[in-house]
Formats: sequence, structure tokens, C-alpha cells
Amino acid sequence: MGAGDTAPDFELPAMGNELPMSLADFTGRVVYLDFWASWCGPCRKSLPLYEEMKGEFPEDRFEIVAINLDEDRYDAIRFLEKHPVSYTILLDPAGTTASQWQIQAMPSSFLLDGDGQIIKAWAGFTSSHLEEIQNEIRSSLH
Amino acid sequence: MRFARPSTSARVFVVVLCVSCTACAPVQPWERGRLAQPQMALEADALLSAMDQHVYTSKEAASGGVGPSGGGCGCN
Repeated sequence: MGAGDTAPDFELPAMGNELPMSLADFTGRVVYLDFWASWCGPCRKSLPLYEEMKGEFPEDRFEIVAINLDEDRYDAIRFLEKHPVSYTILLDPAGTTASQWQIQAMPSSFLLDGDGQIIKAWAGFTSSHLEEIQNEIRSSLH
Repeated sequence: MRFARPSTSARVFVVVLCVSCTACAPVQPWERGRLAQPQMALEADALLSAMDQHVYTSKEAASGGVGPSGGGCGCN
């Protein structure tokens, strides 16, 4: 999956309330979608940084959705207890969505426009990615 | 030059081996949780191993052939 592709929809339970959520629920908003797991070093680094990043953009026009791919959800819960985040965490222990989205590295992330088109995709995460991600979000919100 | 014909059990073994090979599949990036566990690392301490290797390279004027480092978690 890359820039210009239509994002495949999904329906996954949300961490906490188990209510199923789909990509269609975020239509009209710019979405930063992140695939992560608690055992992945760069993912552990990126999630708290996304929490800081979230506050920089208007809540009604921007959303962060993080899909957790841990086989055991309690690994994710333990990590999030230490590093709480306020954005949406969805659970995909079977990795069905990751397969559907053709994930090549952990973490992988995508910036989607309000119509569900992929604006940009990132494989992996380094500190230098963050500024690039923020710039892309700013451009897509203007 | 003549070769003996393989026995039935040898043939069955080869067939089973070939069929088993079809069950092999690449490990996907999101399936590497167990590989990323510390006890799966080939080296207990990557930094110490790097230092040992540096000393070995200096003393022996040779390097390489010591295998990969890291636990293979696939995180970049």
C-alpha cells in the first residue's frame, strides 16, 4: 500500500470498550494510522511521541489510530499502562489487517485524507520521521 | 555404472519431505514477537560482543565469520 491507493477498510475492536470500529468511522478527518506491537523497539519509542503530536492538531479534523498487532493483548495493555495514550487503539492479534495492508516493516504508518486515500506511507520509525509526519499532516489539513 | 534402486521407504521419505516443504512460509513482520524476546537473541549482550570482536580484530588482524547480531525482531 502506498500513496494514491485507496485504504482498505477494516473493522476491529477498540481497546478498552471492545466496540468495533472501522475506517469509515473516521471519514472526513485526516487519519494517521499506525501499525505497532509492544515487542517492537521503534514502536515503543513512537507511541508516546504520537501522543505529544496529537495535541498540535485540531481534534475535529485529525485522528490518530494505532492498530496493535500483539498476539497477546495483555502485552499491549502492560505497555500502555506505562505509556498511556489518548488516541484510538484497535486490536488485531491475528494480523489480518496487517496482511490486508501489506505491511513490510514494524512499525508501519499511513497518512490518510478524509476520503480514505493514502497520502503517504512510512515503513519503520526514526526520530527524523516525526518532523516529516508533522509536516505532511499540516499540509493535508490546509 | 549402476545404482541400486531406492527402497520404498526411501521414496516415501522423499515424498513426505517434499510435501512438508510446502508448509514453510516466511515469517511476517508482525509475527516476530517471539523472535524479539531477549532470550531469543544470539548474543546475551550485543555491546559486549561488539567490544570482544573489536579486540579480536585488533589482536588477530582478522575479522568476520562470527555470525549476525541482534534478535531478528525485524524492527528496521
